Amino acid sequence: MNNFFDMKMLSSGKNEAFARSAVATFALVCSPTLEEINDLKTAVSEAVTNAVVHAYKEEGGIIELLAEVDEKERSITVSVTDFGCGIANVDEAKEPFFTTKADDERSGMGFTIIETFTDDMTVRSKIGEGTTVTMKKVFKNA
Amino acid sequence: MDLDFKIVNNDICVKLVGEIDEYTARSLRDDLDKLIEAQGFRTMTFDMQGVTFLDSTGFGLVIGRYKKLRAKRAELLLKNVPPQVDKVFRTSGLYSFVPIVK
Repeated sequence: MNNFFDMKMLSSGKNEAFARSAVATFALVCSPTLEEINDLKTAVSEAVTNAVVHAYKEEGGIIELLAEVDEKERSITVSVTDFGCGIANVDEAKEPFFTTKADDERSGMGFTIIETFTDDMTVRSKIGEGTTVTMKKVFKNA
Repeated sequence: MDLDFKIVNNDICVKLVGEIDEYTARSLRDDLDKLIEAQGFRTMTFDMQGVTFLDSTGFGLVIGRYKKLRAKRAELLLKNVPPQVDKVFRTSGLYSFVPIVK
């Protein structure tokens, strides 16, 4: 059985650094390079930011962070789940520079960064129920 | 956090430090905007050497300052961009707007 952790946290910007650091530390068993660890941290940060800013509109809710490492494959799969407003059109939200909050200096690059910095990303969302962003990072470099 | 900056001729160089994400961007944005409003200069340079992490919220902050400066007919420049920050900027296409200088 692969090693995993599953934790819940308040959807506060304060927890972003904790979330990405926790995942990065957990992935160390796969001997990633510094660049790979930074890619993972950046991708996790984007998913948690989405939950804080968009899912809960900065009002606070629960974020569930689940991470599983496959030491044999040298990979980590991370899921960030919120129980917030949900995304009306996931395909549209994945488009580079798409944002519902342009006035707020939101870049609309969150999903593009996750897609670019990891090997696989899936987004499941239902209006009024929440969103799960799952990403997989394979550590290919020695 | 007090901003560490130096003015030489018509350039103001601001040293950005630490992690720039959703939690830290807000106060940094306010501090930079105060500086932009208060000072007259032709270029603002962000020295990124001390930045240990930046995500798309940080990219939004940089683009936002670029727009503010452009409205004041000033230019934004970057220098000493670390690899993690560089990758976010490259992915986001920032360098089409904000160039890197030595």
